[in-house]
Amino acid sequence: MTELVQTLVRGLGSGCIYALLAVGFVIIYKSMRIISFAQPSLMLAGAVLVSYLATTVGFYAAVALAALGIAVLALGIERSTIRPLVGRPIFVIAIVTIGIDIVVRVIVNGFIGLDVRQVGDPWGLKTVSIGSVLIQQRHLAMIATTLVLVAVLFAFFRYTRLGLAMRAASFDQEAALAQGVSVGLVFATSWAMAGALAAVAGAFVGTGAGIDQLTWIIAFKALAAIILGGLDSLGGAVIGGLTVGVVESLVATYQQDWAPWLGQNFAVVSPYVLMMLVLLIRPYGLFGTPEVERV
Amino acid sequence: MKARTGLAVAVAAGLALTLTACRGQDDEVSTDVGVTADACPSAVNTDNGCIYLGVISDLTTGPFAPLAVPITDAQKAFWKRVNDAGGIGGYDIDVTTYVRDNKYDPQVHNQVYQEIKGKVLALAQTLGSPTTAAILDDLKANNIVSAPASWTSGWDFEDVIIESGANYCFESMNAVDYAADNFQAKSVMAVHWPGDYGADAAAGVKVAADARGLTFTDVETQPGPDNQAGAIQEIVTKKPDLVIITTGPTDAATVIGNAAAAGYTGKFIGTSPTWNPALLESPAADAFRALYLQSGPWQSFGANTPGHEAMRAAVGNVQPNDGYTAGWVWSYPLKAALEKAADDGDLTRTGLLNAVKSLTTVDYEGMLPPEAGNYAPGGASAYRASVISKVDDTAPTGVSVVKDLFVGPTAQAYDLSKPCWP
Amino acid sequence: MTSLAEQTRTGAPPEPGGRRRSRAARGRPRLYLSYGQDMALLNTRPKRTAVIGLVILAALLPFSMPDDLLHLLALGFVATIGAIGLNLVTGYAGQISLGHAFFLGVGAYTAAVISGDPDGRTIGFGITFLPLWLLAAGLVAGLTGLVVAPLAVRLRGLYLAIVTLGLVFIGLHIFREWDSVTGGPGLGRPGAIPEMFGINFAVDGPAMTRDQKLYLLTLVLLLIFALPAANLARSKVGRAFAAVRDRDMAASIIGVSLTRYKLLAFAISSFYAGCAGALLTMVIGFFDPTSWNLQLSIEYLAMVLIGGAGTISGSIMGALFITLLPRLTRELPALMPFISDSVTDMPNVFQVETMLYGLLIIGFLIFEPRGLYGIWVRCRNYWRSWPFSY
Repeated sequence: MTELVQTLVRGLGSGCIYALLAVGFVIIYKSMRIISFAQPSLMLAGAVLVSYLATTVGFYAAVALAALGIAVLALGIERSTIRPLVGRPIFVIAIVTIGIDIVVRVIVNGFIGLDVRQVGDPWGLKTVSIGSVLIQQRHLAMIATTLVLVAVLFAFFRYTRLGLAMRAASFDQEAALAQGVSVGLVFATSWAMAGALAAVAGAFVGTGAGIDQLTWIIAFKALAAIILGGLDSLGGAVIGGLTVGVVESLVATYQQDWAPWLGQNFAVVSPYVLMMLVLLIRPYGLFGTPEVERV
Repeated sequence: MKARTGLAVAVAAGLALTLTACRGQDDEVSTDVGVTADACPSAVNTDNGCIYLGVISDLTTGPFAPLAVPITDAQKAFWKRVNDAGGIGGYDIDVTTYVRDNKYDPQVHNQVYQEIKGKVLALAQTLGSPTTAAILDDLKANNIVSAPASWTSGWDFEDVIIESGANYCFESMNAVDYAADNFQAKSVMAVHWPGDYGADAAAGVKVAADARGLTFTDVETQPGPDNQAGAIQEIVTKKPDLVIITTGPTDAATVIGNAAAAGYTGKFIGTSPTWNPALLESPAADAFRALYLQSGPWQSFGANTPGHEAMRAAVGNVQPNDGYTAGWVWSYPLKAALEKAADDGDLTRTGLLNAVKSLTTVDYEGMLPPEAGNYAPGGASAYRASVISKVDDTAPTGVSVVKDLFVGPTAQAYDLSKPCWP
Repeated sequence: MTSLAEQTRTGAPPEPGGRRRSRAARGRPRLYLSYGQDMALLNTRPKRTAVIGLVILAALLPFSMPDDLLHLLALGFVATIGAIGLNLVTGYAGQISLGHAFFLGVGAYTAAVISGDPDGRTIGFGITFLPLWLLAAGLVAGLTGLVVAPLAVRLRGLYLAIVTLGLVFIGLHIFREWDSVTGGPGLGRPGAIPEMFGINFAVDGPAMTRDQKLYLLTLVLLLIFALPAANLARSKVGRAFAAVRDRDMAASIIGVSLTRYKLLAFAISSFYAGCAGALLTMVIGFFDPTSWNLQLSIEYLAMVLIGGAGTISGSIMGALFITLLPRLTRELPALMPFISDSVTDMPNVFQVETMLYGLLIIGFLIFEPRGLYGIWVRCRNYWRSWPFSY
């Protein structure tokens, strides 16, 4: 029982990272109908920025500044390379975002250098014990931060003019344009928000062990999360991310005892297997909107 | 085709003529590919000819870039020192013109190798096992001597590959022997990345565990801090006395930090690529100080042998990293072979290979004993000693030696008649 | 009588009214006098001449080019076969697949197992006869494609892309774990051994080097694989693919079975991918299970998009471009002497090289929407109306 609870909390912790990234993917998808493969490099860039800033301004301020910095970077990318491509086939844009990912990652790798970089978080590997259950503080911090951020996002989309504009644009771009919504502003905002979320996720990835040049691969698991939840559902992305984290953690803990024939490290691919299974039953994810065909 | 060969012969003959005409030295050295009578671009000794050596390494986005960059830098410094001392047999050595990035991909490795193979005498570095395997047949067919950047047991069986130091297999045997003698370890677990690096080490752990009567568990783990939960779980539930860990630094920090946080108190011994001095600033630092020892094929960056001192002077003011040490040590046998070939008056590829085969000692300037450079064919001549270091906040790379080069009883008795793994 | 013979050759039905000249009038290549002529594989005289000329030129290249470039071109030809396969499913049938690397891998391991050394570290049966392992690689990959295809029938667009992406990750896991076949990550296994008519193409011979032989072999294979693909595109199946791509619902209403043609597209595409994977390892000589990753899939998608989706010549241009691009980016920094070649500096040539790869792809897609094929069409149109072009 203790083991199960610990496993679940650990899964929720890493699930929060996937959820933050997945929300970024979904925000961009909803506004532009594309998937940005540049998110992994933005996440890494955010983590590196935090590691440089944390020594002077402290961890919390560093995360805020890095989120701002990466939001500006994402804005720049959107304005310079993605905007000219609006209206082109989605896969052309997807390949372009992969090109961006390569370029940004080479630069960021240069800044990582030879040593593992630390983000300077206050939690380290400290634990709190509730009864016999040992829980890492950083996982609690991740869960709390994600809850707050997601609540803020929902409030933003629900109660602000810009949020409403973004929802309108995602529903029908032309109609929104006709109603005076600046679609360009919507695009820019969505990229900035996705960048900021990626930076926060990056900071969390760096807690515990630090970051090196291989850290970016983690971001791909968020893809499984958004498919699970449905490409165009914010709530789905959060739930998808948490599910992926928990499933992965459960498999890592119990698979060697219960199903060793799946091979070592089956946990690594379990999100994708789960994703395939879900899609066989619900082709548009758990919470996605089924595409309506008009003949 | 015939025309092409004809042209090549003509060019070669022309080159040979120029060579004889221009150099005009008494001790005539025969040469073929990758050696010119003209001075190197940016030569130290402008009167010397030039020997071109190729470097194929993982320089940008591959997984071993953090090690490969200092390795390559150290090799540049090594050969610059050789040139500053007058070069070898009237030639300077160039390791900067033909440097290529393999991105740790066999296909890219093969491509860049094809690009430079007609222009270099030998390879001063070919990084990685699957990558080197992609060009090994071609290296053998063309007698191109190569210094590897990996410590796999398979290299002991290839004439063209001149490896240095104990391979991962022996290093891990020695680590298990050390733990069995000093901590009375009764059970051992190998936590390792897949591939030549991790699996060669795990094979050595298994051999030593069998020989010393320890119970053995094998845990393969994928790269990435988010993928270590399974390994941590295995350590925490099985509680082995000793864990031999062969991963990268962040993964090691994740495994060791989390295992310690969950109450594990056994010992970890890692191989040198597992360690990075920056880990002492990570949240796992206390766990490392309490539980971690490091094995290695030679002493680390801050050691006090003449070779280490020369290296530190040559690389200048850099962030200490054992990639420098490795790149530096790996260069000695090639230097010895080039000197021998030059003495024999045969700086052709075949001549260099013959020089390598006849090497029984190499002067490592104290970094390794001379007999470590025995390149007689087969596994019997393989060098078996390694060192154990402990975490030391005052040392330049965060570790200092606790047991200098030693051969444990398992490695001593082991018959290396084929590579450890697979 | 000559005109009759010509009619039979082009397969055009005799037309009434005595206008039976089916060959295009000289100087008016776009004037078709019969349907069969319009639909012919090489429908204009310049096209016919150019293709024949190019093939002859390509066949002569190995006698004048250095081996390392031949090696690269051979890789490019093989990549073309794979790109044609992806183009069939993505460019013609409109089903975006990111799973191509998985099918390439399946083909590669099939061929490597069949032709591998029976006494080696990994499983091998020692049957080195090229046509046999090539066909087997294609068939096994094609069957795998058929197994996966039902997903494609249910999904469209980005969902399909991401599911096929999941396929790559799952495939990678299988390749990593199945040591006896793949050799395991970090170790790998030798590629397929090509032998035919007593010639081993993968070793230096007395008359020709390894790269010259492989170049000629892959050139011939490219022609063998490109021809049926080009033919398929102008057949009933090809038109059905296009209908599914352009509007699947409309297609199903006019009686094109979506299930059937999506399955077919996946199977044929996977067949091509399997063959390409096998040939790829033959040229490289040694491969690691981690090679069959997402990046490879993306490279193939880039080949199709940069070349121009839905054209065979576009696939050829795109594949050669992407294969030669790294070489190009390695040469380019030499023109920028102010960039350091020291690995510890930043920026250094190696970083610039990798970034150029990304930047060139971005630039290409932004500034040339229709790909290399689009550039070619523009050039052609310019010269066609010369000197009155504008």
